[in-house]
Amino acid sequence: MKRLSQTAMRRLISIGMLLVLVALFTILAGFGQGKFFSSANLIEVVRDASVPAIIGVGVTFVIITSGIDLSTGSAMALVGMTMANIYEYTLLPFKVMVLIGILVGLACGLFNGIVIAKLHVPEFIGTLATMSIYRALTYIIAIKDANGVIKSQPMTHSQYVWLGTGVGKFYYVIMAMIVIVLIGQIVLKYTRYGTNLYSVGASRKAATLSGINVEMTQLIAYVITGFTVAVGAVFTTARLQSATTAIGTDFEFNPIAAAVVGGVALSGGSGDVIGTTIGALFMATLENGVRKLDMNTSYQYVIKGIIIIAVVIFDATYKARMDKKAKEQGAKEGLE
Amino acid sequence: MAGSTILEARNIYKSFSGVPVLQDVHFEVKAGEVHALMGENGAGKSTLIKIVTGVYSKDEGQIYWEGKPVEINNYQDCQKLGVACIYQELSVIPPLTVAQNVFLGREPRNGPFIDYGKMNRMTQELIDRYQFPLKPTTVVDNLGIGQRQLIEILKGLSQNSKLLIMDEPTASLSGREAEMLFRIIEQLRSQGVSIIYISHRLEEVYKLSDRLTILRDGKNAAVLEKEEIIPAKVIETMIGKVVDESAGSKKMLHSDDSAEVRLDVKGLTDATDRFRNISFQVHIGEILGLGGLIGAGRTEVVRAIYGIDKAASGEVTLDGKKLNPSPRASILEGIGFVPEDRRNQGFIPLLSTTRNVALTNYDIIKKNGAAISDADELDMSRRAIKAIDIRPSDPDKQVGVMSGGNQQKVVLGKWLMRDLKLLIVDEPTAGIDVGAKDEIYSILEELAQNGVAVIVVTSDLQELLRVSHRILVMRKGDIVKEFKNVEVTQAMVLAAGQGVEQEAEK
Repeated sequence: MKRLSQTAMRRLISIGMLLVLVALFTILAGFGQGKFFSSANLIEVVRDASVPAIIGVGVTFVIITSGIDLSTGSAMALVGMTMANIYEYTLLPFKVMVLIGILVGLACGLFNGIVIAKLHVPEFIGTLATMSIYRALTYIIAIKDANGVIKSQPMTHSQYVWLGTGVGKFYYVIMAMIVIVLIGQIVLKYTRYGTNLYSVGASRKAATLSGINVEMTQLIAYVITGFTVAVGAVFTTARLQSATTAIGTDFEFNPIAAAVVGGVALSGGSGDVIGTTIGALFMATLENGVRKLDMNTSYQYVIKGIIIIAVVIFDATYKARMDKKAKEQGAKEGLE
Repeated sequence: MAGSTILEARNIYKSFSGVPVLQDVHFEVKAGEVHALMGENGAGKSTLIKIVTGVYSKDEGQIYWEGKPVEINNYQDCQKLGVACIYQELSVIPPLTVAQNVFLGREPRNGPFIDYGKMNRMTQELIDRYQFPLKPTTVVDNLGIGQRQLIEILKGLSQNSKLLIMDEPTASLSGREAEMLFRIIEQLRSQGVSIIYISHRLEEVYKLSDRLTILRDGKNAAVLEKEEIIPAKVIETMIGKVVDESAGSKKMLHSDDSAEVRLDVKGLTDATDRFRNISFQVHIGEILGLGGLIGAGRTEVVRAIYGIDKAASGEVTLDGKKLNPSPRASILEGIGFVPEDRRNQGFIPLLSTTRNVALTNYDIIKKNGAAISDADELDMSRRAIKAIDIRPSDPDKQVGVMSGGNQQKVVLGKWLMRDLKLLIVDEPTAGIDVGAKDEIYSILEELAQNGVAVIVVTSDLQELLRVSHRILVMRKGDIVKEFKNVEVTQAMVLAAGQGVEQEAEK
C-alpha cells in the first residue's frame, strides 16, 4: 500500500472528526424537521461557519508563516463600526460604504504587518496590542444616543439587507466563502507566494538562502487577513442588520480554533485553507449542536477550549511519532 | 584526474579579536576532484570554509575562481559563482515536495501559477542524471535524513554548481545512508563536479578523497596526494611532531585501582543505538577522561548516567547503591553535571551569579519559614566566588555578560557548594581562553584530591591528556580502548578514536 503523507493523513483525521461530531449530534439531537440533522439546519451550520472560514483563509496564511493574529475580532468590529458611521452620518452609496469598510480592514492588516514583519515585534504580543487598539477605536467611534450611551446602530439599507440573504437558502455569505476559500487554496498551492509562506514558516533560514523576501511574505499575509476580516465584517453586519461594539468578540478565537482543528500547525509550515474550512464547519457544528441540545450555550466555550487543547496535544505526539517513523523508514529503505 | 584549478585561496589571514585563526593559508581545489579538509578542533577548517562561502570576511589574501580573482561577500555571491554548501543542519522545507524544495524561489511559472508539470520534469531530469533515489513529487516530511541531504545536494546541482562543500555530511547518517552518499559522491566526481569534504573521520577521507589538505593551528600542515593518504601519516601531520611534554602531546598515566569504586556502570545501552553495552568504573579521587570523535556517543553516555536521557538497559551504581537516574535524583545523590552547551544548558544568562549558584542548591539553603533566606543565598554565592575566583566578584552581576571562562566557573561553582561524589563535565573548556582553562583544570584536580570522582568528556586531545588519570576512548557507540598506567600520546588516542588500530590488526 502506498503510504499517505502526513498531510493527507491529517486531512483524513479532521474530516473524520467532523463526521463523528455530526453523527454524534444526529444521535443526541435527532433528525427530521426542526431537529439537528435536517437540510434547513445543516445549511444554517454552513452559514454560521462561513465568516470564520473566510477570516480563516487569512489566519491560515499567517499561521503557516508561524505567526498568529489575535486582532481579527477587534478589526472586524472596527470595520463594522466604520460602516455604521458612514450609514448614519453620510449619504454615500452602499458600494462606497463597503469599499471604505474593506479599506479599513486592509489598513488594520497592514498595520499588523508593519508591526510584526518590519518592526519585528513578536507576533503574539504585537497582535495582542493591536487587538486592544482596534477594539478601543471601535468604542471611540461608536454611535451614542442623546445621553452619550453607546447604542446598537441599525443598518437597514435595502442593498445591505439583500446581502444578508441569498438565492433561496443558498446564502451569499456561503457563496463568498466558497469563492474566497478556493482562491486562498489556489494561491497557497499554485503560486510562488504560497510556497514562500510554507518556506518562511518551516525555516526562515532556508527561505532566506533561497532568496525569498521573508518580511514581505509575512507582511502580505497580515494584509490578506485584514481583507478577509473586512469581508467577514460586511457579511456579519449585513446579517445582523446592525453594528455593535461587541461584534467579533468570538472572532479572536474562532478562526484560530478552526485552523488548529483543521491541521494548521501553530509552529508553522503546514496546513492549508481547506483544512481550516473543515475546522470552521466543525466549530459551527459544535455550536449548533449544543444549542439544539438545549444546553447552556456557555458550555460550548468549555468544550471548544478542551477540544483545542486535545488537538494540539494530539498533533504534537502524532507528529513526533510520524517523524520518527519516517526517519526509520528512510534509514531502512535508504536508499536502495 | 587532474583537472584545472577551479577554486584557489591564497595567503589567507584571519584573526578574531587579535587571536590569529588562519595564517597564510593556501587551499586549492581542482575540477572534478574530491578534496578533503582535515584538522583537529580549532585548526581553522570551518573558518576557512566560512571565508570561502562569504560568511566571514578575510583579513588578508585573495580568492580565485577559475583563475580569476573574485570577492565573495555573502552566500549569494558564492551561489552565483557555482559553489553550493551542504550544511550540517539541513535547510529543506518538510511540508513541500522534493521538486518544490529543489526549485524553491526559482519555480518555473505559467502566468501567475507554478508550472508543476515542468518543475517535476526538470527535477526528474536532474534525478536521472545523477541517479538519486528520489521522486520529484514525494513530500519531504516522509523522508529520512539521508534523503533530505540528497535534496540539498540536488538543489546545489540544479543551480549548475561546479563545487559542492560538504561539512561533516555523515554526522547524522546511518551506515547505509552514508554508503549511499559515498556512491553519489563518486558519481558526481565522475561527472566533473568538485567536492570539498570536511570530516573528522579518517576512514571516509581515506576512501573518498583524491587529495587532502591538513590544517594545524591555523596553518597549512600538508597537502597530500591520494597515494600519500596513509592513516598514521595523516594523524602525525594533524597533531604535529611536538615531543615537548609540557605541550601535552604525551603523558604517563597513573591511576590507583586500590581506591574504592565510586561509580560502576554496567551494560548501559541506548534506546536509539547511539551507544551499546557500556561498562566502566570510576574510583574515588580519579579523573577519567572520555575521548573519541564528536558523535562517538560520549555525551549520550554521560547524559544517560546523569539521567537526562533514559537508557534502554544497563545499571548505574554509585557507592554500591543502584541509581534510578533522573537529574533530580542524581543531584540529591551527589552527582554534578556540567553540560556541553554551556549557554543553553549550563546557566541562566539573565540571572546573577547568586541566583545561578543557588539554582541547584535550594534544598541546602536555609529557609525562613517557606521563604528562601536571602542572607544564606548570598553567603553561598560569596563562598563560590571566593573558592574559585569568579570575576567580576560582584554576586549580583548577570552571568550572561561575563567571559566564557567565568561563566564556566559559575557553573562549576554551583556544584562545588554541594557535597559532591561524582562530577561529570562535558567539553569543560570549549571557547574558553587559556588562562581560565588552567584554572578550570586545577579546580578539577583539587576536586579529585578531595575524593570526588570526575568524568571529563573532551574532544581536545591536549586537554584529555592533561587532566586524565585514565582514558577511555569511544568509537561509534562502543568503548574501544582503555589507556591505563601507560605512556600515551595524542596520536594514540586519535588513532583509537578513528579505528585505525583495529584496521591494522585485521
